[in-house]
Amino acid sequence: MRAAFSDALVGLAKADPNILLLTGDHGYALFDDFRRECPKQYINAGIAEQNMVGMAAGLARCGFRPFVYGLSAFIPVRVVEQIKLDIAHDKLPVILIGDGAGFVYSHLGTSHQSTEDIACTRAIPNLSIYSPADRFEVTACMEMAYHSMSAVYLRMGKSDRGDVHIAVPIIKAGHLLEIKPGKVGSIAFIATGSLVRTAMDIASGSYPDAVVWSAPVIKPIDMQQVATICKQHQIIVVLEEHSVLGGLGSAIAEIAAEFAPVRILRIGVQDRFSHYCGTYDYLLQEHGLDRLAIAQRIADFLTVD
Amino acid sequence: MMSQNKTFDTKALRKTVLDMAYAGSTVHIGCAFSIIELLAVLYRHHLRYPGNDPLAVGRDYFVLSKGHGVMAQYACLRELGWLKDDAFSHYFADGSDLKGLSDSRIPGLEVTSGSLGHGFSVAVGLAMGVKLRSTDQKTYALVGDGEINEGAIWEGALFAAHQELSNFMVIVDENGFQAMGSTQDVLKLGSIQAKFESFGFEAITIDGHDEAAINNAIIQLWASNLTSPKALIAKTIKGKGVSFMENNNIWHYTRLDSETYAKALSAVAGGE
Repeated sequence: MRAAFSDALVGLAKADPNILLLTGDHGYALFDDFRRECPKQYINAGIAEQNMVGMAAGLARCGFRPFVYGLSAFIPVRVVEQIKLDIAHDKLPVILIGDGAGFVYSHLGTSHQSTEDIACTRAIPNLSIYSPADRFEVTACMEMAYHSMSAVYLRMGKSDRGDVHIAVPIIKAGHLLEIKPGKVGSIAFIATGSLVRTAMDIASGSYPDAVVWSAPVIKPIDMQQVATICKQHQIIVVLEEHSVLGGLGSAIAEIAAEFAPVRILRIGVQDRFSHYCGTYDYLLQEHGLDRLAIAQRIADFLTVD
Repeated sequence: MMSQNKTFDTKALRKTVLDMAYAGSTVHIGCAFSIIELLAVLYRHHLRYPGNDPLAVGRDYFVLSKGHGVMAQYACLRELGWLKDDAFSHYFADGSDLKGLSDSRIPGLEVTSGSLGHGFSVAVGLAMGVKLRSTDQKTYALVGDGEINEGAIWEGALFAAHQELSNFMVIVDENGFQAMGSTQDVLKLGSIQAKFESFGFEAITIDGHDEAAINNAIIQLWASNLTSPKALIAKTIKGKGVSFMENNNIWHYTRLDSETYAKALSAVAGGE
């Protein structure tokens, strides 16, 4: 997934000299290719994210196409106001890349873990939020972000959970992608990022009639499509490596409540910080986001009237 | 310069600010009055807008980072013909365009400011972009002395010096006050010139109400062959031009009534 990101960025930057990569002193090794291929388009802005994002707005104002890279704990969370005021207010085409979303930095603790970034950015007008699930969605999201000519927050989470597509999908902003067909009247899984693979595995293993959707774009979201899915299924399960407050689960529940009320199970981080450290898989267990715990919660949810 | 035929007379600019502040019953008069001479000199002698177009490609960038002084800039934009008179008589009317803080949707205002410490970084980005394009455009950021409490200012200062943005000038309106009191009482700044110099800027301190001194300092800074970004520290008086407002911080918040409006108009006309 990170290789796909680097390849997409280098490809775009070689074709468009107005593309600039700004990093807040992050991305060691990740940008080796970029620095070799496009050295004049690379700016390390130092450990100074507020200035970096404000500056990206200035660069966009004079016709450049900045890609601003940081860890998602910092880009966007540390700089929400710069994104709102300097970039989104004037619809500037700045692409913000938040890497390591969720519990990627499982050993480093709360400062580097990011499970509130979608909630922090969803209410900002003129800002799109992308959350790719695999390398193919990364490629598609990078292309879409570049061609959108608007402000985008691209959330990159755990990158080695396996592909969910077999080729680069065609993504239209706001559309959910069906990655496992199922039957009307059954369960619909709607997942984003790293948990799309988990949703596929659970559905394939235990709910052969269930349909699985990936949400590579969290905002904007196609309300009609979501409402239709909610109408056609008895249970909706939303999965995200993010707080259950303000993320994809909230977005789906908001639409369902207004247009197609249905029971929705929101799988995500339960409004808490990590207490302990350990491997990524350990952290998922601590938060009840490993495959077994999620499968159990779904089974419990199905037995409740 | 595109603005040579404009006078940017400081008495007239102050009168415009008073008129609009009275019409809109607004605050921040003192914040506008400390930067009148700075803006007059910039617009009269330095800022280049090809075709008198506020959005002209190749223009110089003037970023009012201390958005609280925006009435002074509105007054200049009126002189340039970019704002119409009724925008002033209807200041703060329901559905009107001109806000109490700088908004980039108004042609001539480059950024949306008021939350402090933002415009400076955007201006650094503009200067960086100009440097990458290798054009001769200049970028100015006007910040308040209170505003430089913000950490983002110093992030941007490090970056501007590191990248040798010699096309960038920060102008500090050192009026000695911020919202709740004097800068000395709230958060001591020490020597602002020494601070910017220590960050790698070439800096000059002048009387920010002496138009000749301002103009000479700007010319001198741009004439330098050093690769450093520039800092012009302007010692100013908050509320300058109206004796009962000068160095009286209640005019950060106080609105004019008919009596204070008349007294202020008279003071400005007399040039006391």
